[in-house]
Amino acid sequence: MPRLSPGGIPSARVKRRNTDNGLRLATALTVISLVLFTMGSREGGSGPLTAVRGGFQIVTTPVRYVGSLISVPFQGIGNIASNLTADQETLSELRAKNAELTARNAELEEAQQTAKRLQSLLKLQDSYSLQSTAARIISGSTDSWNSTVTIDKGTLSGITVGMPVTDANGIIGQTIECGPTSSTVRLLDDEKSSVSAMIQKTRAQGMLKGSADGTLHLTMIGTDQTVEVGDIVVTSGLGGVFPKGLPMGTVSNVSKTSGKLYYDIEVGALSTTENFEEVLVITSLTEGQEASSEDIAAADAQDTQQSESGSSDEGAGSSASGADGQESGDQSDEG
Amino acid sequence: MQVRDTNKSRRSIGVLAVICAVVQLALAPNIGIAAGRANVALVFVGLVALSIGGRTGVLAGFFGGLFFDLCTTGPMGLMTLLLTITSYVLGMEERNRLADELTGSLALFAGTDVIVSLIYGLAMLLVGQASSVGDVLASSVLPSALLTLICFVIFEYFLVGGFSGAGIGGGGRRGGGHYKLSGL
Repeated sequence: MPRLSPGGIPSARVKRRNTDNGLRLATALTVISLVLFTMGSREGGSGPLTAVRGGFQIVTTPVRYVGSLISVPFQGIGNIASNLTADQETLSELRAKNAELTARNAELEEAQQTAKRLQSLLKLQDSYSLQSTAARIISGSTDSWNSTVTIDKGTLSGITVGMPVTDANGIIGQTIECGPTSSTVRLLDDEKSSVSAMIQKTRAQGMLKGSADGTLHLTMIGTDQTVEVGDIVVTSGLGGVFPKGLPMGTVSNVSKTSGKLYYDIEVGALSTTENFEEVLVITSLTEGQEASSEDIAAADAQDTQQSESGSSDEGAGSSASGADGQESGDQSDEG
Repeated sequence: MQVRDTNKSRRSIGVLAVICAVVQLALAPNIGIAAGRANVALVFVGLVALSIGGRTGVLAGFFGGLFFDLCTTGPMGLMTLLLTITSYVLGMEERNRLADELTGSLALFAGTDVIVSLIYGLAMLLVGQASSVGDVLASSVLPSALLTLICFVIFEYFLVGGFSGAGIGGGGRRGGGHYKLSGL
């Protein structure tokens, strides 16, 4: 007896038809996917697909926002859980009680920290005379391939692609996609991030680049320069995207390989990004924030000196006086 | 005799899709191992393809992939392509494999999960969004695949079949799931 399927059609017939249709449908949708992929790869930072993605961002921003809200208490619980684990091994009930109280106070502490961060942001804004818009981080990276965060301000607030973003400690990244009400910020530790930087003490200029493992590397600093662990790395202002002198990190490791013209410098980031943290998006640079002609001349002189010392074994074609932004450059405001 | 209630099935898939979408947007970005994030779109596609398959599975694959592509900053259409093909392959048998052979289905999904993550990672290398194979594998592909598998097991247990069958695809043993989306 044949099995019944929708509409009472014998299942064997339905199955054959569905299988055929499934294959045809899969083929058709595969072709559409390939077209989408090709179009997406070709259109770069602007086009219909980017517009659709922007629209999608608007629609989904509230959900992302709620997700961040939900995750905030979990962050607190995560800390408490780790404290409790330590307590079980070494401490008494008193400390467990203390951890519970910590949980109850977590919200209050969070509010206090927010106030402190806001004060620091105001201080930063004042001391650097930044033309900026305040925003809040509402989501981390959705995928495993990019180190990004989403902020709750977009083109309606005057934000455009390529604007630098800072928190109270210094630069955290640059906007790469902007919807009307939200924007995506590529963080400094993203593999494609590259910012003109210099050592604050010695003024040695180079490029601060991210990597897949999340570490920051200061490149293009010649071995004839002086670099020490603990030196502060600041933006050089070359390229005209990032204001000059904003802190980005501190040198955590310097190594020199014989035969190489440049140091291998690892940099520890000053900022960490967490949900609901307040940030400033720098909307424009004022006079004095861009690199001066002396800075540009110094960078050129450094490049010339290094190229005279011998042929470069790394970063061919790049220089310390390069532009800020992504390595591919298609979404940088400098093109 | 097996009777299918198509409307109920559609409703269940819709509810599952909404839950997966919310989890992808709201929770996945906040839970990660290294750079890895769960691909909830793949979980949705896996559940539908392994429970129903056929045209429904393929459609779920296409729209699930499209949703993922819209959520991320990666190349548009890449995950759509991968999930469309994945859903067709997983759903070729057009039966509730989750109910009939759970262990086999989990193993099949785990394998698919790793392959999809790996191909996506390699494609990211090719389009220049990643530069090192080792880093891609260690910090993105494997953590992402692991989180996705954990997510799949949780969804299967709590929403679909409760480890013992009968979910959105129906036709299998029932019981176990706490908030089961029983469809057909």
